[in-house]
Amino acid sequence: METLNFLLSGFAAAATPANLAFALIGCILGTLIGVLPGLGPAAGTAILIPLTFKLDPTGAIIMLSAIYYGAMYGGTITSVLLNVPGEAASVITCIDGFQMAKQGRGGTALGIAAIGSFIGGIFATVALVVVATPLSTLALRFGPPEFFALMLFGLSLVTGLAGRSLVAGVLMTVVGLLIAMVGIDPVVGAPRFTFGIPELYDGVGFIPVVMGLFGIGEILITAEKPYKEVIKTSFAHLLPSAAEWRRSAGAIVRGTGIGFFLGLIPGVGAIIPTFMSYITEKRLSKTPEQFGTGAIEGVAGPETANNAYANAAMVPLLTLGIPSSPTIAVLMGAFIVNGLTPGPFLFQERPELVWAIIASFFIGNVLLLILNLPLVGLWAKILEIPWQYVCGGTLLFCILGAYSINQSVFDIWLMLIFGIIGYLLRKLDFPIAPAILGLILGPQLEKSLRTSLEMSAGDFTIFLTRPITAVLLLLSVTVLVVSALHLTPPQLREASED
Amino acid sequence: MKLGWQIGSVCFFALFAFGLVLALQLPMGDALGPGPGFFPLWLGLVGAALAIILFVQVRRQPADGPGDERLAPDRPAVRRILAVLILLAAVALLLDPLGFRLTALLFTALLLPGLGVRSPMIIAIFAATAGFGVFHVFYYWLKVPLPLGVFGI
Repeated sequence: METLNFLLSGFAAAATPANLAFALIGCILGTLIGVLPGLGPAAGTAILIPLTFKLDPTGAIIMLSAIYYGAMYGGTITSVLLNVPGEAASVITCIDGFQMAKQGRGGTALGIAAIGSFIGGIFATVALVVVATPLSTLALRFGPPEFFALMLFGLSLVTGLAGRSLVAGVLMTVVGLLIAMVGIDPVVGAPRFTFGIPELYDGVGFIPVVMGLFGIGEILITAEKPYKEVIKTSFAHLLPSAAEWRRSAGAIVRGTGIGFFLGLIPGVGAIIPTFMSYITEKRLSKTPEQFGTGAIEGVAGPETANNAYANAAMVPLLTLGIPSSPTIAVLMGAFIVNGLTPGPFLFQERPELVWAIIASFFIGNVLLLILNLPLVGLWAKILEIPWQYVCGGTLLFCILGAYSINQSVFDIWLMLIFGIIGYLLRKLDFPIAPAILGLILGPQLEKSLRTSLEMSAGDFTIFLTRPITAVLLLLSVTVLVVSALHLTPPQLREASED
Repeated sequence: MKLGWQIGSVCFFALFAFGLVLALQLPMGDALGPGPGFFPLWLGLVGAALAIILFVQVRRQPADGPGDERLAPDRPAVRRILAVLILLAAVALLLDPLGFRLTALLFTALLLPGLGVRSPMIIAIFAATAGFGVFHVFYYWLKVPLPLGVFGI
């Protein structure tokens, strides 16, 4: 009952004209980011943070969250019409979505994706409402050892599922953690690895690093290999036929479940649920041979899973303060920029803000459905913008975003350096997601570790004598061992970059 | 790809070795427990060990395995990439002295030809929008502080 009251007050706050406008703008910008190849949701959300500087924290987070799930849908349009994923989670949609577009069924592919995304998103948000309060109450009982083990578990999942090499995944996590050590020591306040540069006292800026690794890195890849032309397809039939509905219904239900449950696990990333959904649908199908030739279930399932994941991934962020993917890490950065620390204490200290944000997810999903079905032709037109202008505009926003965080050109240099690093890492196929999560979780991980060891007077067995900690550490080791022994399906490992 | 991963693992080893040297100069503990050097030291050790393992793993892989495709971009692609990087560096140097409007104008006016756009009209419109339009939206409407430069524009 208390949860329902909180949710209703959240709706009252989220439904003010200003917050509705922020959600709408966020959905439009997010879809635009998703549509444009070469600008993923992580970099896109980071770039647009300056837009929210003058907003109140509630409006800012509502808008940035809308950008996030708008981008998750927008990537579908590019996958279907261009055979190029607008963001990583839409990779799998290329397979059948593009085939449907080539057969003149592009409108139906985008229609079922929008409807599936809506259903998945709404269900995941309802489930978020149900689990948010119990989970945040449970998390309040967590001490530093439990948080340390939980973060380690999240990092082990990202690492274990990242790329083709486990060693490279762990290595990239450690790189992220090492970069996070730059700045003032979180416990005793001593400067570390700052080389006397005042701009580094606050640490290496997370936003310029994300913009560099994801934004500039991707632009350099696009500059190397400009993307292809848009396929001409029909948007006359956006709604699926009765037969297509029958084929899609089960896929949507299963996609919702897969997306939601995997979204709850910190570190899984956006692409795993879509692959899981696709594999599940293919295995359950009576006509698996149609997959890859334009099977509507191959679009409905993964797209539903994608959006259910996007909404469910807010659960670990809001209740535990743990980001599940680089994009969620950017959102966490946006919380911090606005003076908020996501986690169980936020539910205690700012319930009106948390519930307004959760309520805005419902509104955002409705807005996305309204925007995406009738405007699909317009989004397709945007894809026809020559890549040079997209690169120019994106770079300008990267400059604006990097500079305006601290009004410092140092952050532009930082973005440039990490852009070159990101380009090289992409070229060599090193996983980037573990480094990003290592970077954002590094300070908290170190603080939890050191506080835990202070509690135990330096005795490491504190991590084994507490039940939750021991279980989480055991799970972390299991994930890494399973990955090391190549027991994870190769499809999941090779495509787990968010 | 194999050579790239080998070079990459050597670079990572150098990074972790450097981190290790710096960490050793920090206190490892204090009266309360682990000190500022404790965590970076372990990261440096683990990272350096992983870089060595990766190097050995890659070295043992067959040279003609999958993924050994040519990585170097062709000449026009190199020109486009360099145009982006050089102009971004120029922005970092010129933003404070010239201000956002002039810097953004010059940046886009030079970037688009560098990426292959040939129409002077389109370049002019895009550059003017980038320089003055974007500044107006962010500086006046969104109240984002942007540099005005020595000319005050």
